[in-house]
Amino acid sequence: MKRNQFFKFVFMVLTLFASVNWLYAEENTEAARVKLLLNHIDDMWRGKSSYAVTTMQVKTQHYTRTMKMEGWSKGKEQTLFRIIEPLREKGTTTLKSGNNIYTYLPKTDRTIKLTSGMMMGSWMGSHLTNDDLVKEARLEEDYDVTIRFEGERDGQNIIEFLLIPKTDAAVVWSKLILIILADSHIPVVEYYYDEDMQLARTISFTDVELLGGRERPSVLRVVPADKPDEYTVFIYEQLQFDIAISDSLFSLSSLKKR
Amino acid sequence: MNLNTLAWRNLWRHKRRTLITASSIAFGVLLAVTFTGAGDYFYTRMIDAGANMGMGHITLTAPDYNRAPSSKKYIKQTTDLKHKMMEQRDVKGVLARIHGQAMFASARKSVGGIFIAIDPQQEDANNNLFLKAMIAGGMLTKNSDKGILLGADLARKLKLDLGNKVVYTTTDKNGEIVSAIARVTGLFQTGAIEIDGAMAVLPLQAAQEILGYQSDEVSLLAVTLSDQRNSYLLRDQLQKMAAFKNVEVLNWQQTQPELAGMIAIDKSSNYISQLLIAMLVAAGILNTMLMSVLERKREFGVMMALGMSPRNLFLLVMFESFWLAVLGLIIGVIVTTPWYVFMTNTGIDLSAAYGEGFSFGGVLLDPVFKIRLFKESIVAILIGLFGLALLAGAYPAWRAGRVAPVESLKAL
Amino acid sequence: MKIITFASRNIYRSGHRSIVTIVAMAFACAMMIIFAALMEGFVAGSEHNIVSMNVGDIQIHRQGYRDDPDIYNSITDSQSLAISIRNEGFNASERQFAFGLLASGQSSAGVQLRGIDLKYESTVTQIDQHLMLGTWLDVAELHGVVIGKKLARLLDVSLGDELIFVGQTADGFMANDAFHVRGILKTVSASIDNAGVFMSDVMLRELIALPNDAHEMVIMRTDRTRDLVMATEQLATLASDGLEVMSWHQLMPVISRFMETAQVQTFIMLLFTYIAVASVVLNAMLMSVFERIKEFGIMKAMGMRPWQIVQLIYAETMIQTMLASVIGLIIGGTMSWHLQLYGIDMSSIAEGISFAGIALDPIWYARLSTESLFTPVLFLFVIAAIAVIYPAAKVALIRPLAAIHHR
Repeated sequence: MKRNQFFKFVFMVLTLFASVNWLYAEENTEAARVKLLLNHIDDMWRGKSSYAVTTMQVKTQHYTRTMKMEGWSKGKEQTLFRIIEPLREKGTTTLKSGNNIYTYLPKTDRTIKLTSGMMMGSWMGSHLTNDDLVKEARLEEDYDVTIRFEGERDGQNIIEFLLIPKTDAAVVWSKLILIILADSHIPVVEYYYDEDMQLARTISFTDVELLGGRERPSVLRVVPADKPDEYTVFIYEQLQFDIAISDSLFSLSSLKKR
Repeated sequence: MNLNTLAWRNLWRHKRRTLITASSIAFGVLLAVTFTGAGDYFYTRMIDAGANMGMGHITLTAPDYNRAPSSKKYIKQTTDLKHKMMEQRDVKGVLARIHGQAMFASARKSVGGIFIAIDPQQEDANNNLFLKAMIAGGMLTKNSDKGILLGADLARKLKLDLGNKVVYTTTDKNGEIVSAIARVTGLFQTGAIEIDGAMAVLPLQAAQEILGYQSDEVSLLAVTLSDQRNSYLLRDQLQKMAAFKNVEVLNWQQTQPELAGMIAIDKSSNYISQLLIAMLVAAGILNTMLMSVLERKREFGVMMALGMSPRNLFLLVMFESFWLAVLGLIIGVIVTTPWYVFMTNTGIDLSAAYGEGFSFGGVLLDPVFKIRLFKESIVAILIGLFGLALLAGAYPAWRAGRVAPVESLKAL
Repeated sequence: MKIITFASRNIYRSGHRSIVTIVAMAFACAMMIIFAALMEGFVAGSEHNIVSMNVGDIQIHRQGYRDDPDIYNSITDSQSLAISIRNEGFNASERQFAFGLLASGQSSAGVQLRGIDLKYESTVTQIDQHLMLGTWLDVAELHGVVIGKKLARLLDVSLGDELIFVGQTADGFMANDAFHVRGILKTVSASIDNAGVFMSDVMLRELIALPNDAHEMVIMRTDRTRDLVMATEQLATLASDGLEVMSWHQLMPVISRFMETAQVQTFIMLLFTYIAVASVVLNAMLMSVFERIKEFGIMKAMGMRPWQIVQLIYAETMIQTMLASVIGLIIGGTMSWHLQLYGIDMSSIAEGISFAGIALDPIWYARLSTESLFTPVLFLFVIAAIAVIYPAAKVALIRPLAAIHHR
């Protein structure tokens, strides 16, 4: 009798352990999966290094313009991009190295160091801010992510993520909703909300193409919620990954090279 | 015969004349007390308010910080400096502060401004103007808070309210761009739009973290004194001490030159006004004394004939001036005291006329008109009064001494 | 006429006494004149500072610009508006503004560029004379800029140093150019000191691609006595819809209120002075009558009627006062005139002073006007007349014997 009970007890404990373990593993799996997905998404435009040629179109109430630029990146910290068109701004080059940002202005042949004063201003007249470009936050670092919905919507199999910024994250948004395609993990649309939970802007990803060896959206469209007639569109013309770039490219001296 | 007693009695031979002249002296005393007292009170308030607004009566900074401020210039090992400061005589408090420029951003907008980082446990509404001017929310409670106080207009521009988050971006000590997030815990409204629309208050620790400072490194130490007039002397003393050789020691005149200039001008115009009135009172005394001498020519003639020396006559008239001044002073004190008591304690509230938020030389003005006299000022007024009376009496006294007995006896 | 002759002779006879009385009154009169002129000069000077340094009498903006200084919130067709305003008998000048970043070798700051119409600006403000260092703008040197005092300190620059501006044009491009410091201003206002960068409007228009419009129109009355409120209304009818026309009182209500209070303050100061003067005059007049009470007693004994005595005393008083006021006017008027031209230089005491965010000229000028000259004189007469009522009445009514024995 006693032995029986003892064994029963041990069995219960073991089962309990096993089930807890299993639950934990399940959660772990969930979190791990989300992490994996996010990294996958972040990596869509990253690699150990990259080279891209993009066209940007901006339409606002007061002007419409188009710009073409090329950019290099190595890792997360180093970025260099240079404007190719229009002629008026050709040669304007921005270097980001860690938390330092420099811009070379060909018109005056001067390099200035960007300070906080410029950060929240719009970048090149677009609907993105200097901050957006500098931050390029890995979603995973600054946000707590959960999956809000998985399944079919409008004829597509999607996964919908809810991103809530972590307490100490220096982001102005209070909520992001990111929708990706379930199978290819290609982003479809990203919604940005302010603190009153009002939609502040929408970034949509379209025109999936083979870029740099992978299927990626080649067009990004940023639309401010309060001015839906305006937009900023980025079109990836060229994109190459993991090419050999030397560190010397990300130096002040290379800023001036045309 | 005691010259003094004689002088006193002489005065009372012409009661009316004496009283009128004494009254004009009394009036002069009243004006002097009012003008000087208003100045003493006003300037001290302004200087103290200016000190509380950021820099203290004496400021310790990194070299050259005052001329061209930057987050690259900061003072280290401030705990030692603080202790050393508190040992000095007359020091009421030493506050560590960090100042810097930043961009404040919400999801809707971004605005450039300035932040002041303070230690919430060391500062309260009594020594900090922003805390005093809070209109909503509460003060930062701990140094480790991730809170921020915004000027009411700044919050409005950013479309933020209590509890919302704001991202601030600044340049750290190495020149790199850094950002951090904070929640709006309170709003302040001083009434001056250049403050309410561009300034924010952060906890010291948050600023140190974002700028890369150690926990005892700050932009400046603001030292408040119990009597602002000691700031010059103390600054000079500190500059000579070895403990302070790595820092720049400035007093409020150097850190707030606008305020200093404004006070200097106001003081000068105050002095000019008082000078004019003093001259009028002196004229009155002169008039009285001269008249009284001229009409007593015969009397003096007789006295001299009886053996009184010219010198004694001179002294006699001088004493008369002196007693006249004393009389005037007594009446003056009687009249002025209730006025002074009222003005020192209650004062006249001018906020209906001036409204809130009026800045003077960059410092906010509290529109209540009060008086207060420093001991030194009282002494100065007394010396001025007697000096004036004696000076005014000198010429008539001299005239009295010059009378030739025979001549005067001839005059009828 | 007999009375007047009599009075004059009495005055002459009293000699010293008369002189002392007259001098005392003249002195008091001169003091009052100088003081009144200084006070008036202070008030006028303050208004002048506010108005002529930067703000002007009246300003025009597009509605909403002051709350949200967006580059697109401009006054369209500003040039023709300016011309029609000038035709109405005003001076007008246009200004354009833009915001951006200004970088020096050491640091950078957010600034407000101010495009100035160099042809007309000096007709509306005197900022071109308000330089601490260097020289004012010149169309010949478009890349020379004049910056605010505190901005120069913040950027750690001095004359000749280079500044790079980065901002955005009206058509969405990046605006950037290199400038150098041509001048540094003295204190003007808090915002200009901290962030003001002045350049020729030709340069700014090109820099931010704003060829036609303006953001602010500054207007001055050519005739300063013209009523400001009426002038503002007149211009409001000229300006089209969507523009707001405001006088400096409306633009800066705090200062406007202060100016009003300042006038009250100066009036109180004058009042105090006058009271002090009154006591001197009272003293003098009283003594001058009572000292001669014996004489008057004899006159009465000899048959002079009370009314005649009063007349005599008044005649003496008025003659003395007249002499005193002439002397007072000459001395006071001359000194005030000198102070009006040269002023009292306070700049050794105060380098640059501001008041409710507005700069003040450290030279204190007096201002002569019919008021500052003649009110004191009038006052003197009034006081003297009041002062002798008591003694005149007493003397007139006293019994001759009592008078002769009076002490």
